[in-house]
Amino acid sequence: MREAVAVPWFSAGIKEWVFTTDHKKIGILYFTTGLIAFIIAGIFGMLIRFEQNAPGFQVVSPNFYNYLLTGHGAVMLLWWAIAAHIGGFGNFLLPLMIGARDVAFPRLNALSYWAFFGATVIVLLTLIPGNHIKMMWTGYPPYAAHPDAGVTAYYVFAIHLLGVSSIATAVNFITTYIRMRAPGIGFWNTNLYVHSLIAANVIQLIGVPSLAGAVTMLFLDRYLGTNFFNPNLGGDPLLYQNVFWFYSHPAVYVMIIPIFGFYSEILSTFSRKPIFGYKSMVFAIWGIAVISFIVWIHHMFTSGVPDWARVLMSYTTVLVAVPTGVKIFNWVATLHGGAIILRSPMLYALGGIFMFLIGGLTGIPNAMVAIDLGVHDSLFVVGHFHYVLGMALTLGIFGAVIFWFPKVVGKMYPENFGKISFWLVFIGANIFYFTQMIVGFIGMPRRYPDYPPIPEWVTLNQISTVGALILGLGVLVFLIGIIKGLTSGEEANDNPWQSPSLEWRVKSPAPVDNFGEKPPQVEPDYHPYKYGAPPTF
Amino acid sequence: MDQVFAYPAKWWNEAVVVWLVVAVVIYAVTAVPGLYFIMKYRFRPGEREVGDHEKHGHWGLEALWTIVPTIVVLVLATYSFAVFKKQRTVPEDAMTLKVTGFMWGWQVEYLDDKGNTVKTVVTAYNPTSYEAPEDQKIVVPAGKPIKVLLTSMDVVHAFYVMPAKIVEDAVPGRITYLWFQINKPGEYWVFCREFCGTGHSHMFAKLKVVPPDQFAAWLKGETDFAKQPDEIKENI
Repeated sequence: MREAVAVPWFSAGIKEWVFTTDHKKIGILYFTTGLIAFIIAGIFGMLIRFEQNAPGFQVVSPNFYNYLLTGHGAVMLLWWAIAAHIGGFGNFLLPLMIGARDVAFPRLNALSYWAFFGATVIVLLTLIPGNHIKMMWTGYPPYAAHPDAGVTAYYVFAIHLLGVSSIATAVNFITTYIRMRAPGIGFWNTNLYVHSLIAANVIQLIGVPSLAGAVTMLFLDRYLGTNFFNPNLGGDPLLYQNVFWFYSHPAVYVMIIPIFGFYSEILSTFSRKPIFGYKSMVFAIWGIAVISFIVWIHHMFTSGVPDWARVLMSYTTVLVAVPTGVKIFNWVATLHGGAIILRSPMLYALGGIFMFLIGGLTGIPNAMVAIDLGVHDSLFVVGHFHYVLGMALTLGIFGAVIFWFPKVVGKMYPENFGKISFWLVFIGANIFYFTQMIVGFIGMPRRYPDYPPIPEWVTLNQISTVGALILGLGVLVFLIGIIKGLTSGEEANDNPWQSPSLEWRVKSPAPVDNFGEKPPQVEPDYHPYKYGAPPTF
Repeated sequence: MDQVFAYPAKWWNEAVVVWLVVAVVIYAVTAVPGLYFIMKYRFRPGEREVGDHEKHGHWGLEALWTIVPTIVVLVLATYSFAVFKKQRTVPEDAMTLKVTGFMWGWQVEYLDDKGNTVKTVVTAYNPTSYEAPEDQKIVVPAGKPIKVLLTSMDVVHAFYVMPAKIVEDAVPGRITYLWFQINKPGEYWVFCREFCGTGHSHMFAKLKVVPPDQFAAWLKGETDFAKQPDEIKENI
């Protein structure tokens, strides 16, 4: 398909989009699909919020509520928190940042996207009333094998297709990074985003088969009468939980580590100085990746696993705080001595780090097994992971969208939309999730469409709803900003942020053949964070 | 009567205070300098146009913020281990309840000295209200440790004793346990905290804590065993 590659994305026809193997077009496809999924799951989230606003069933029935929760969780995590940025930004940025023409296996890359697209179709099919799935994104048996859970097969096949997509992407990205770097790009001068992306994909490669195994056993149990998880015939429900979390805990680092990469790129650019402690950042990324595989029991602290396992994994879990702490301290130190420009990507990155700091500190009680025995499966946990994953991640992605918008689109994202949407999202999210943590701390369980009219619970839930509305408005402003930027954005030059990083050395929007026939020449002391001349933006 | 309201909530509350202090300190040493740097090192045309390039790392500082947090979190984990041991060690004089979860209610069995069931309370699924009839309340004596042996008939549930701040899953095919002690008589909430389907949010129970003599009288009083097996069947 050589001729297909000759068309830039903005003049590509349908046929080109379907058959493309260009990493930039695939990246755009991934991100667009992920963004649409994000909007749908966001609407689900708002409905959940409205239902929880007051005791009683006002908005939806309990069954539909459970479907909303399942959809919100699964789609936000697997579509938005993994595919949208790993498939979207990863595809677009990885070859540009290391000076390659494309990824190592372009056709495999197209397969990744279309497998992901298949999973998207399956998940959209569950919108049809008879097809609702209600087992939560975790799909714990025996409930998930129970008729009340809905059509488990949709869930299993969506996970299978996503797994194919993730494994293919992981193989592709890791190979690309190892084999296709331009001369002069080595381990110690690649962008931190690339390091994070590769670490995340190594986790994917090791972990995804475990998740696929768990859901396959679930499928066999539900439809073919096996008894992996059926205690009446010698199975064990905890087997599923172990196999499931063996992947799904590391998966949260798959989601958040590349976002750390975004923060690093943006922070360094808008502080006009190198990232502080580059090497310790790289060690921290890989440290998180390694530790992530030995902490999964903290999702099962109250599930009846032996006490020694809980204590052991309580120790390993708190250790995750060390590399993440190193990263946060390094970001703060990056600000020291900078010439800080508070453009909207910078606001988003700083806001994201702030959210992550709160999320990290409220993660400690989940890691300390003694406190977890009181807060497990409460709304506190929900508030916590909406800080770390939900908001730190979403703010990071929004910042990245604005930051790389000129490289992808060739136009600038309108700055006022960026600023307004940031403050709305930031304030709304803090009101929303902080009150959610408090109401969970005083005892409210998660996944409750209805709850007893305990006065504090009602008040806190209503404050939470106000926060959710502000947050929703902020996201809306951000999305309108994208449309405005696409249609009437100011023309961008090739390097609007005056970054020394390699991806800014191609034209805006990035040309189809990236750097041309020959790999780009970088100066002998190339480093992506070497900021020189005073900025003019 | 003891000044303490409930166990293991007492130790849980203490642990929460320890965490909050540590969290606020970490927050202060991170966010305050961060905000200060953002204000101080602002880009100013003609004055401050480029960042300080020599400030790109400092092994001493980086080692400092690797080692100190490591020590802090290990101390926290060890402290939590000590509390956890108390949460999981049932006092010798505890009374045992057998609790079985089902979709969507609880069956609570009271045992005599020999381990035979002498009384059973079953909470019926009520999808619209959070009121429980008097005979469906779980009655326990105040000031006495209660050991709860948990299992489930169908899917995974979790038994959360809200005043005692303790939760444990009820897993089919396994017997798990938790213990609690509430010293102040009154009515408290018990919730299911592991997702279990349509009726999850209405899988609750009222825990009625009464003085020990009233409890003894209640345990000897009339029971209505006869109608309960049907109720259970209806619900599963």
